[in-house]
Amino acid sequence: MNRTLTKVEATVVTLLAVLVLVVMPLLNSAGVVSNFTINLWGKYLCYAVLALSVDLLWGYTGLLSLGQALFFSLGGYMFGMYLMLLSGPLGAYAKSGQNPAGLPDFMVFLGHTFLPWFWRPFYSPGFSALMVVALPGLVALLFGFLAFRARIKGVYFSILTQALTYGAALMFFRNDLVMGGNNGFTDFHRIMGFDIRSAATQRGLFIATGVLLLGVYLLGRWLTATKFGLVQRAVRDSETRVLFSGYAAANYKLFVFTLCAIIAGLGGALYVPQVGIINPSEMTAEKSLEAVVWVAVGGRGTLLGPIVGAIGINALKSWATRAMPDLWPLILGGLFIVIVLLLPKGLVGIPGQIRALWVSRRKRDEDPGQESIEPADADQPATPA
Amino acid sequence: MRTFPHPAKLPFPLLLSVWAVLCATTWLAPAAHASDTPRAVIAKAVVTEESEEQVRLVRSLAGDTDPQIRDLLTAWKEGGISILEAPDGLPGLTEGQKIAVTLAQDKDADDKQGVLRLDSSEPIKDAEGKPLRLPAADIEAAETDAALRQAMKGVLDAFALAASAPATRLKVVAEYGLSQDLARLEALQARQAVETHPRVQRALREAISQIHLKHDDAEKRTAAARDLGQMGSISSRDALKTLLEETPDTPENSALRAEATKALVAIGTHMRWANAYGTAFRGLSTGSILLVVAIGLAITFGLMGVINMAHGELIAVGAYTAYLVQHVFGDGLTLSPFGKTLSLPGLHTTGWIRDCYFIAAIPLSFLAAALVGIALERGIIRFLYRRPLESLLATWGVSLVLQQLFRLVFGANNVQVDSPSWLSGNWTVFDVLFGWNRIFVICFAVLIIAGAWAVLNKTSLGLLIRAVMQNRSMAACMGVRTERVNMLTFALGSGLAGLAGAFLSQIGNVGPGLGQDYIVDAFMTVVVGGVGNLLGTVLSALGIGLIDQSLQQILLSPVLGKILVLGGIILFLQWRPAGLFVTKSRSLEG
Amino acid sequence: MSQRPFILAAEGVNKSFAGFQAIRDLNFYMDPGELRTVIGPNGAGKTTFLDLITGRAKPDTGTIRFGADHELTGLNEYEIYRLGIGRKFQTPTVYADHTVFENLVMSLEGSRGVWASLFAKIHNTQRDRIQEILETIHLGDKAQWKAGALAHGQKQWLEIGMLLAQNAQLLLVDEPAAGMTDEETHRTGELLLSLAGKHSIIVIEHDMVFIRQIAAGRRVTVLHQGSVLCEGPVDQVQNNEKVIEVYLGRKHAHP
Repeated sequence: MNRTLTKVEATVVTLLAVLVLVVMPLLNSAGVVSNFTINLWGKYLCYAVLALSVDLLWGYTGLLSLGQALFFSLGGYMFGMYLMLLSGPLGAYAKSGQNPAGLPDFMVFLGHTFLPWFWRPFYSPGFSALMVVALPGLVALLFGFLAFRARIKGVYFSILTQALTYGAALMFFRNDLVMGGNNGFTDFHRIMGFDIRSAATQRGLFIATGVLLLGVYLLGRWLTATKFGLVQRAVRDSETRVLFSGYAAANYKLFVFTLCAIIAGLGGALYVPQVGIINPSEMTAEKSLEAVVWVAVGGRGTLLGPIVGAIGINALKSWATRAMPDLWPLILGGLFIVIVLLLPKGLVGIPGQIRALWVSRRKRDEDPGQESIEPADADQPATPA
Repeated sequence: MRTFPHPAKLPFPLLLSVWAVLCATTWLAPAAHASDTPRAVIAKAVVTEESEEQVRLVRSLAGDTDPQIRDLLTAWKEGGISILEAPDGLPGLTEGQKIAVTLAQDKDADDKQGVLRLDSSEPIKDAEGKPLRLPAADIEAAETDAALRQAMKGVLDAFALAASAPATRLKVVAEYGLSQDLARLEALQARQAVETHPRVQRALREAISQIHLKHDDAEKRTAAARDLGQMGSISSRDALKTLLEETPDTPENSALRAEATKALVAIGTHMRWANAYGTAFRGLSTGSILLVVAIGLAITFGLMGVINMAHGELIAVGAYTAYLVQHVFGDGLTLSPFGKTLSLPGLHTTGWIRDCYFIAAIPLSFLAAALVGIALERGIIRFLYRRPLESLLATWGVSLVLQQLFRLVFGANNVQVDSPSWLSGNWTVFDVLFGWNRIFVICFAVLIIAGAWAVLNKTSLGLLIRAVMQNRSMAACMGVRTERVNMLTFALGSGLAGLAGAFLSQIGNVGPGLGQDYIVDAFMTVVVGGVGNLLGTVLSALGIGLIDQSLQQILLSPVLGKILVLGGIILFLQWRPAGLFVTKSRSLEG
Repeated sequence: MSQRPFILAAEGVNKSFAGFQAIRDLNFYMDPGELRTVIGPNGAGKTTFLDLITGRAKPDTGTIRFGADHELTGLNEYEIYRLGIGRKFQTPTVYADHTVFENLVMSLEGSRGVWASLFAKIHNTQRDRIQEILETIHLGDKAQWKAGALAHGQKQWLEIGMLLAQNAQLLLVDEPAAGMTDEETHRTGELLLSLAGKHSIIVIEHDMVFIRQIAAGRRVTVLHQGSVLCEGPVDQVQNNEKVIEVYLGRKHAHP
């Protein structure tokens, strides 16, 4: 890696961390930064966590998972169950005396009179936090085990994760799963003994998200610098060769896929109390692809790029969906096409791209008969060449 | 004359036949009293003192199709017809003469009402020519006794059974059979004698046997049970079960019980077969839908290895084209994309030409989608042939853009595409329901596959396509313009997506998200089938369709079934990671 | 023949691809420490044979035993690698986006597990070993270069270096001299000769000068249409009429 780039990145990250963890919360309690802004940026930071999980998979390992939105939502749902249980006794049904058991409102609406067994442990925040990690992790572990064992890769892996997400969403839409069906979870009141809507709680959640993002960033930094990181990138560039270096590529992929599912789940868990709603429409391949856009725009295969992309694109989206709601999908889709065709390394890669262009032009002037570099085989289709 | 199940055994059917012939004669020549309208006959019957004569008169109406009969007889039964004993001095009436009347609904302050003659519907006038008004209490309602009511019911039933639409007759017959009302036997048997529609005939036989299950004659019950068993009459299951419960297990009942038990077993077997065939048929049609939406993908993804996430939107292009063609055949259409108004003139066709718009829509849908496909290939995909993951992302961007364009041009809501009315009909053969729309689906799939196969295997374009897809560089060395072939192949796959769209517009809603509903299924179908092989796609589509429908049959939940199918596909790929058909090669991509 | 177990024994191996019989009833035995050269015309099944040994392809029938007690046919690529079988591919296959140094780090012998990779440290002995290999393959000054930026011959060297780093028992070397200058080719030959004895080596080659260099006084196996045509010392093989007919003869006819 380029050392000066690393230094620049370290400075940028430190500045951003201070801004998010210290300056913004202070300004918020002083009344300079509005609660709305804190809430909005809290959401962006959750998306940045999601983007990092996409990048560790796609940018570093070559696995384009369209299931990251699923893992994000699963994390959100697990923590949402805890929030729903706290909110049941304070909900609309409880106020009108129709909810003696203090169930979450949607259960009362669906005619449940007692809590299903699998909801019970979620009164404990510790258990919920455990499930935030465990459920996405286990789903990814099982699915990844099957997929990688069968050596499903490239676009096939993407399509299968899309199918997984689709199947899960169908399941969560059903009322008999007792997970809120169509409407999902909403109308939260309390969290860990605090009023979830108070400015201080939201500030606390914002800081927690900042800490999570920083932690995930540092984890990514460390991971990609280890020998694991070497193998990871080798899998991306030439998976077949990795096998002939004695590495069980499937195990490496399984590890990183599970890890990234957990990261996404953690992001989702912090997303729900800040945004105040989670429902199955979050659980779509399109949402995963949206996260891929953030990464692509920011710059895949870097760790700062996805964060920049997630915050940048979402800030743009917040503005554009108000200013020109009809055109936003056109902008997003167009952005995707342009990035893929013209800026494969994203915004972070623009300086390097310009440098490479300049170098190649000079080289061409000096040495016209240059040998072309063979293409990497990782991305090739399985069709006969 | 139709034969009865066992004419030789019983004298009763003979009698019935005679009766039926009599009735039929009555029906053929309803005017036993040529001048009397049904209204007049009823008016006469109301005032007839003698009960037998009343019954005879009412019965004489059997088979007449005048809807007044139903209304009047119903009114009579419910006390809506009265008898007026004419007071002195009414013009045209002698004192004490009884006439059938109805009361006008115009009660005044004195509680008096106008009186209408039943035979002519004219108000009765008093000596001064003013309408006669009487208090309701002064007039007695025409009464009916049991025999008369029985006769009326027979006439009313016969009336319903004579409905002109066979479907209505079928419904009535089935209903009568289920009622197991012996009083309806006569009407059914009368109808059986004259019915010519085979399906109604069969329903009549079934209904009569069902009613016979309640007959006093044990032999008739036994024969009926046997008959129902032979027919595999699913609707008789409950009746047969009840019969078994109500018939004590005594020696004299043994034949009946044995026959009923046998019949139930036979019906059960028939039902399982009917269910199995029904499921298979529905599976076939579900599979055909999958096939139609996946066939284009089997070419772009399967043969070319291009992953086109906008495939679903190409389907939508085809569907919207069908929508436009429909309006051009009709009265035209005004669209307002981006705040501008765009008017399409209509051809104002009518009748059968208008019904044929779909024929015109088929090639146009193909063309429209193929053109969009060419633009997509030239503009984006050709730069990404070696980078499938990136082509996935870029085409997803295209899919977003196209969806939004549909929304802006055609609105966010579904648009209405009319399908020919015959598509909503169905056809029942041995209790298996064949919906016309499903048959249409299957035929369309067969045509589209045959077409795609012919293009790939019988045309020079197909030869080039296969050559390029098998060995791009070799084909290029031999002078094939691979760029052009790529473009045309992609256009073919896209055009087939457009056809799928035209097709889907006939069986479902057309909206901006149409493509998204099918894209996952389509990809799964191609992945399971194995890339590079049309036959694999065909088998996988039909297989997934059958499994999907069977699971629905078992789980009674389409969503659960779908989830299981998706899970099953993941497990299937453990067994055959490359799908059903693997194109083996020595290519080093391992 | 030796009483010691063979390092590699393939018996009755068949393999076909979509109707094309690439390997036909192949029997092949090799002693430990041997340097065996395999030659044969194009399509003789040489590379397919290496694919079958390394688990890239599975034989339809037959057995391939490694050492005394390892049957290779049921194992997959990385399991076979971990038994101590290394391979250099026909076209140089290195990690293009990794530096030369990183390529060698990934190839060093040692655990290949996920957990080990997370906490692995490069010890000084390993660093020294890599430095040593870099000198051997003449890439000492290019350790921090991206492997993709190397010239074709240098990539060949790097891949040989990766084999050295692995310290495998059995080295499968597919056309090492392709794309090299005469001088480089000669050096490669010397390197392979120096490794013989400590390692067992199968070399697949076309270059006759190179073959004479490395196969002098050693056994050469000629493959033809997927089976062994003849086997013996290089001079004997060169004078074998059948060989001349199918291979050398043709080559002589069209120099």
